[in-house]
Order: sequence, then C-alpha cells, then structure tokens
Amino acid sequence: MSLDDDISAWAATVRLTDAEADDIFGRIAATPLPGPTPRLDAQWWRGFTADFAARMVTSTRPVRQAA
Amino acid sequence: MDREAEFRRLFDAHRGPVHAYFTGRIGDRQAAADLTQDVFLRVWQHLDKLTDMPDDGQRAWVFTVARNLSIDAGRLTRTRTDTERTLAREPARQPQPGSPASVPVIAAERATVVGEAIKELPEDQRVALTMAAAGTMTSGEIAAALGVPAGTVRYRLSMARRALATALDNYDHAGEER
Repeated sequence: MSLDDDISAWAATVRLTDAEADDIFGRIAATPLPGPTPRLDAQWWRGFTADFAARMVTSTRPVRQAA
Repeated sequence: MDREAEFRRLFDAHRGPVHAYFTGRIGDRQAAADLTQDVFLRVWQHLDKLTDMPDDGQRAWVFTVARNLSIDAGRLTRTRTDTERTLAREPARQPQPGSPASVPVIAAERATVVGEAIKELPEDQRVALTMAAAGTMTSGEIAAALGVPAGTVRYRLSMARRALATALDNYDHAGEER
C-alpha cells in the first residue's frame, strides 16, 4: 500500500459520516430563528415623545413662572 | 431558492472541510462534530447575509467562525480533558505487525499507525494534513481557510507526510524483525 492509501484509510475513520451530517442538519434546521425585535407602534412613539417633551418643559420652568 | 435549500447547499459544501479542520485542531472527531454543529448554527442564523456573498466569501466567513470557535480556550481545554478521559478508558488499539492478518486488517492496522503518528505531529501540520485528507481540500483551499500562504500549507503537508512515512517504515521494520 502507498502512503496515500494509508492516509486515505485513516481519513475514512475520522471523516464526518452522512448519517452524522444529516443529524446535525436536522437539528439546526429545526432551530427556530430569532424573530424580529418587537417594535412599538409609531403612533405610540409620537405620543410618548410629545408627552415627554411636555413634561420636560413643565419640569424645567422656573418656579416663579410655574406658580 | 428557499431558506432550507440554501442552507443545505452551504452545509454540504463546507461540512467536510469544517469537521476536518476541528478534527485536526483537537484530535477528536466527536468533539469536532459538536463544533461543526456550532458553526453551522451560526450559518443558519446569518443565512441572509451569506446568501449575498460569493462562494469565496462564504468559505472565508465559515472558517472565520470556525477559527473563532476553536480558539475558545475554555471549550478546547474541556474538550481535550474529555478526550483524555476517553482515551484513558479506551486505550488505542496497538497494531501487531507481522500477525497473520487478512489484507483489510493490515490496512486497518496501518491506518491506526497513521492516526497515532498524526497525533504526534505539530498542530499546524496536523491541521493541514487532516484538512487535505479528511476534508479533501487542496492546498490553496486550506491556505484560504486558514489565512496563510499556499506555500506554507504545502510545506506543512510535506513535513507531515515525511513524518508519517517514517512512522510506517518503523512499523514495517518492526514486523520484519518478528
């Protein structure tokens, strides 16, 4: 036997078999993908932003003016 | 092409080389299978990005992930420890040169000699040889995957083959002396 034959014979003992590969493939393909990040509705953001801005204005008015 | 078919194409194209890479790095085909699964899980999760890449880019991406996983020192150490425990429980079968064995048995014994000699190789030679033999990769493909010049890979392969030839010569001579 040639050196290449001996190396090939060894390689066949360590190579990933089709059955092992199918097993890995099946496990991965069954893995649920991370879904899209839940996003808040645009109208909610508009309301939140307006409300936040109003609070900031109110909370930073000079005490005399607020009174 | 649907998502699973595209993943199947990438998986079939790279699973052998990736598994061979890990086998060369850590010397344990089962641990290599686990790490191969980790690599392709990332492929599955980033498939949209990979689909737009050329084949060379896909291979580079896959092996970048593989190299990053393999340098996870904690995991490698754990894997090596597990491997050593396994080896301690199941010592490698010693070839018996010169025994009146059939040709397939002799071939298996010589494969065992090759496997033992490969374990003794420096890591860079072991990885290159395993990728070439078990991953059926060319020296150019190995070079691209490892990020080293093709000449370096050819040198490593040459040194590895020389060491294996010496180990097999020793085995043959031991058989003749019996």
